[in-house]
Amino acid sequence: MFMNAILLLLYIAAGVAYAVQFARRSFAVSRTATVLLVLAAIAHTFVIGMETMRVGHVPSATATSAIVMFVWLLALSYLYVELTTGERSMGVFILLLLIALQTIPAFSAGLNEPRSAILESPWFAVHVSSLLFAYASFALAGVLGITYVLQFKEIKAKALGFFYERLPSLNMLDEMNLRAVKIGWLFLTAGLISGGIWASQLPSSGVPNASMSMADPKIFVALLCWAVYSFELYAQRAIGWRGRRAAWLSAVGFAIVLLNFVPVSYFFTTSHNF
Amino acid sequence: MQLLLVGVSHRTAPIELRERLDFSARGVDRALTALSGSGAHHEATIVSTCNRVELYVGCDDVDAARLAIQRFLSEFHGIPGDQLGPHLYSKTGPEAVTHLYRVAAGLDSLVMGEPQILGQVKDAFGVASQLGCTGPLLNKLFHSAFAAGKRVRSETGLAEGAVSVSYAAVELARKIFGNLAGRTVLVVGAGEMGKLTAIHMQSQGIDRLIITSRTAAHATALAQSIGGSAMPWDALNRALVEADILITATGASAPIISRALVGQTMKARRQRPLFIIDIAVPRDVDASAGDLEQVFLYNVDDLQAVVQENISKRGSEAADAEKIITQEVARFIGWLNSRGAVPTIVALRHRFEAIRQSELRRLEPKLASLPPEARARVDEITRLIMEKLLINPTEQLKSAPDPDTVAAYSDALRRLFGLSGDETPDETLTTAGPTRTAKKPAP
Repeated sequence: MFMNAILLLLYIAAGVAYAVQFARRSFAVSRTATVLLVLAAIAHTFVIGMETMRVGHVPSATATSAIVMFVWLLALSYLYVELTTGERSMGVFILLLLIALQTIPAFSAGLNEPRSAILESPWFAVHVSSLLFAYASFALAGVLGITYVLQFKEIKAKALGFFYERLPSLNMLDEMNLRAVKIGWLFLTAGLISGGIWASQLPSSGVPNASMSMADPKIFVALLCWAVYSFELYAQRAIGWRGRRAAWLSAVGFAIVLLNFVPVSYFFTTSHNF
Repeated sequence: MQLLLVGVSHRTAPIELRERLDFSARGVDRALTALSGSGAHHEATIVSTCNRVELYVGCDDVDAARLAIQRFLSEFHGIPGDQLGPHLYSKTGPEAVTHLYRVAAGLDSLVMGEPQILGQVKDAFGVASQLGCTGPLLNKLFHSAFAAGKRVRSETGLAEGAVSVSYAAVELARKIFGNLAGRTVLVVGAGEMGKLTAIHMQSQGIDRLIITSRTAAHATALAQSIGGSAMPWDALNRALVEADILITATGASAPIISRALVGQTMKARRQRPLFIIDIAVPRDVDASAGDLEQVFLYNVDDLQAVVQENISKRGSEAADAEKIITQEVARFIGWLNSRGAVPTIVALRHRFEAIRQSELRRLEPKLASLPPEARARVDEITRLIMEKLLINPTEQLKSAPDPDTVAAYSDALRRLFGLSGDETPDETLTTAGPTRTAKKPAP
């Protein structure tokens, strides 16, 4: 879709700026990078607003439009973290993810957002927005986890180099990772519960083919995610799995989220478009 | 006015001579007062550190001022001129500007990129400016030097990376823990290196400093001298659980902290990260303890390697820093040249305005019949024509690339428009002044 292609270009521009500022550590470029990302996020907000007006609900009922929403939420969440902590070194990793995901809607035919009575349910809105927000948090946690591991490896191997000079302290990465996982876990839990309530109301709504199956891979993988992040939070408290182990769990957890997001949504799901 | 620098540094003079020349012992303010007695210059600043003594002056006659400064240095410090002479360097104009900028950026320092020098230059300028020894030339020069130094620091890695073992340890601690506030540091052994590292850690605002040693008296003495708490040797295991950073510096001949002990400790600490700095030779901590999850073990060789790496990195950043210096010097020289053009521009304006006024006066009888608004209009139009005519020559003069061009342009304008020297103000600054038109009287 045309608008999504433009958004992709904006994210690519911001991504290039973040890459340059990461490599060169130039203050002037880092300001440009933030400005470009803010512009992209504003444009994105505008596109989503237009689409909402057109279809009458927040467009997130198809896999593609869910990705558009997710990219938007992740960009906003990242900007929030950057502006509150002043830490830009994660930007290049987040932008890579944003660009990769935004490529999908940019090259798909159209959103074909269905107008349907069952999508007007408030439970649907809560379900989808909670999950998308949870996934955005997990994306941040995943990137924090990966950067933690990069930084950890250099310090542990006593080979202080590229990442050592650019990334923040291990402690900060660890704490931000756990905070992101906690927030994500809360929203994931809320999203799963509201999804269950919404699904239980479907048979009585009179819409045909609206039943949900627990055997759907989408739901199964979502529950798997919940298990991984629950374990991460538990292990961190109970057996001191902080630092590198928590970082790995965040990275793995986010890999599962991505799996659920792209291949499962497009190829495997039976009853659950998104 | 011209810029002159006379000085010695670690590059030209041995430490004995630099020590004798150091002004800080007897006071830079006294030296400045004594120096201005010579009357050979209008502005002066003395930069005096343990590695350099440099005098920056704004003067009219460079040769006279250079002689006066040499005489002053040898009289003030009681060093015969022939001993001093061979070690002195002197630079003028753009070369002097470049030198100061390189000094401020740390490019001329013994340890390249060391950060103290910028503060020292700032202090030196502060003293001179408080005594009223600086003027338009040095004010602008030093402020641009500070800006150049700042740019180098923020845009290159010249000042990055620790270049001493104890500071490298602090930097690593900050990469592991972030802010060191609220952290506990345990020092095992009361040696000099342990003390130095502990002091560095303390300056980072750590919460607690615990010191333990086989000889309790040593621990107590060190704790008293640097402000920490001593702990008996047999409480070591308990202290290990509390510490975030462990510094070992004992004289023991075999490791005193085994992998098993660190392993136990990590369990008791619930895997909170532990940074171990083993600066003892031979080592105090079993090297395999570094394999434990969340244990970061650095010995003195590891830290030395970090320092070496940083020093060579700084060297490779120098080229970028020099580029910034070149840009900033060009900017300053541009300002200086445009200042040199000011008298000509002012004279030209006066000339034009005088012609306009005299023409208006001559036409007064004819204009008298016009209504007041129309007369105001005539005044306005003639003024605008004059401004338009002046724009281009003004711009050209101000943006001339070098003092010689400024001089040639000024000379041409003076001849073409019959400008006399009397109309110029007294504030003339040029980098090299073959065409100085006005001299500022000595203050």
